[in-house]
Amino acid sequence: MADVTYDGATRIYPGTEIAAVDSLDLDIADGEFLVLVGPSGSGKSTALRMLAGLEFIDGGSVSIGGRDVTLTPPQDRDIAMVFQNYALYPNMTVAANMGFALKQRGIEKEERARRVREAAKVLDLEEYLDRKPKNLSGGQRQRVAMGRAIVREPQVFLMDEPLSNLDAKLRVQTRTELAELQARLGVTTVYVTHDQVEAMTMGHRVAVLRDGKLQQVARPRDLYSTPANRFVAGFIGSPAMNLIDVDPGNGPLQLGTAPITGAPASGTAVGTVGVRPEHLRLGSTGINGRVTVIEELGSQAFVHVAIEHEGRDEVLVVRDEGETDIQRNDNVQVGILGPCHLFGTDGERIDQ
Amino acid sequence: MTAATADRAKLLAKRNRLEAWKRRLPLLPALLFTIVVTQVPFVLSLWYSFTEWRINPPSPRTFIGVDNYTGLVSNSFFRDAAFTTIFMTVASVLLSLLLGTGLALLLDRDFFGRGLARTLLITPFLIMPVVAGLVWKTQMFNSSFGVLNWILETLGFDSIEFVSRWPAGSIIVVLVWQWMPFMMLIVLAGLQGQDPSVLEAARVDGASSFSIFGQITLPQLRPYLELGTLLGTIYLIQVFDHVEVITGGGPGSTNIPYFVFQRSIGGGWRFGEASAFSIVVVVASIVIANLGLRVLSNLLEGEAP
Repeated sequence: MADVTYDGATRIYPGTEIAAVDSLDLDIADGEFLVLVGPSGSGKSTALRMLAGLEFIDGGSVSIGGRDVTLTPPQDRDIAMVFQNYALYPNMTVAANMGFALKQRGIEKEERARRVREAAKVLDLEEYLDRKPKNLSGGQRQRVAMGRAIVREPQVFLMDEPLSNLDAKLRVQTRTELAELQARLGVTTVYVTHDQVEAMTMGHRVAVLRDGKLQQVARPRDLYSTPANRFVAGFIGSPAMNLIDVDPGNGPLQLGTAPITGAPASGTAVGTVGVRPEHLRLGSTGINGRVTVIEELGSQAFVHVAIEHEGRDEVLVVRDEGETDIQRNDNVQVGILGPCHLFGTDGERIDQ
Repeated sequence: MTAATADRAKLLAKRNRLEAWKRRLPLLPALLFTIVVTQVPFVLSLWYSFTEWRINPPSPRTFIGVDNYTGLVSNSFFRDAAFTTIFMTVASVLLSLLLGTGLALLLDRDFFGRGLARTLLITPFLIMPVVAGLVWKTQMFNSSFGVLNWILETLGFDSIEFVSRWPAGSIIVVLVWQWMPFMMLIVLAGLQGQDPSVLEAARVDGASSFSIFGQITLPQLRPYLELGTLLGTIYLIQVFDHVEVITGGGPGSTNIPYFVFQRSIGGGWRFGEASAFSIVVVVASIVIANLGLRVLSNLLEGEAP
């Protein structure tokens, strides 16, 4: 077990000008579950592969447990990786797959078998040990890939979207199992996903990347309540935060016709106002609008309301609790309940 | 009502038959041609193999049953030819497979000019067998103006008449040169079909390049290596051109196809006996081809046999 540090780590793919990962600074504590999240092409997988040693590091350094591993080949880094497509060895049985790394280290056959059995027990794989990967279901393959990692008792687990090939129900179930397993083993884990729900539910801390640049690292709750910039605000949360551009030089801050309380602490010009759907409410006072779409989820409904804002048409998504008898094309009033997030014209958060 | 449905069914059946013939008709000439040029001669050969039939001196064809086949067993020339066939086939298949795999591993890496290198490496396979044999005999092996002897002499060694010293060996060299690209292409397909993340997983798991090759790559290549072996064997078991051009059946280089030629139109004029020889080769080829097809279908099903 060990801590992990990225220190200005940069990766520029040959033949490209722009860095896939641009001077990433990140400290991951011993035993922490850190999730790297971002849209596709954000460099999250590249960052993980740099830690694994599968990607050359063009600048900066990466260290594991205080040891600089920037130039260390993957086999000497004492890490275990779970791949998106599991990358099981097709010619080997489940037991051989899980014992492969131990065999490479020259560990005795009996010891190997014992540790494989132990891991198989943890993952409910005991009856499949003699099967080949092609005779397993997707969920079982995923568990074998996990087993291959935990058998090694490595310093760090690296997981590259390990749940994205599972169906929705199994994914939710495996998500909790995985988080629980990690907590029990206490091994430092770096987990890559494009799914912000996965990131929020599993990570002790979440690092949001965009275009190879780190946007924010924070605990899930902080990420949700105080996004560092417009991108994080829009990326984290489902449905997304309502982000409405405002004209900086337009007098008092307003959303439609409703005034926004809490002026910027500094004199910075506000470029965007953000407000989460649960901080809006349909009522008898507020901004006039017309319902365009109702997303009924049973316990709650998300109502899309078209409003007029600074002479433009904008849509606000409003969370409506419980059963609603609102119909499409109804005229409604949207009230602002909770805090608004303010972002400058450069997209950075403005503290209030 | 029932009469109408019956009529309708009849009409439908008629239309289906018509449709089927629309597809069969254009294929018929090709099918007939194939039967005439392959199956009819085969049946005739089968018939000849049960007869005693000499042309020089001309004598009437007489039915002798399986005497030609029983005679094969005690015929030492046939035994020698059979041994030469086995030796030549096994040696050239294994060597071309080994070298082809080596080249495929090199070509699997990314380097400048890979496309050109690949094209150049494939060319020996595209050359006609007779031309390949002639080029090697006259320009490589030849003791007075062959390239190999020029190298030997330049290095200060005596020149060697390769073909007369190692007749079978010389043929094997040319066969390997021609078949190596074929093996290379098959193995390369296998290598490029590998999941790169499996190799990465093995590296993360602490395997050296050597053990990745031995424990991951080679087992995955197995169906491809088997396919190469079987296809190569089917072709190389019936090699004729190289033998004719390079040694003309010189000592220890007469394989069964060449032996069949010698015993029939090549001067022996004993067509009955020669037919029996060729039937044996055909049967052996069919057995091997069947094994080959089984491997091929396994490969297409995506299952290692």
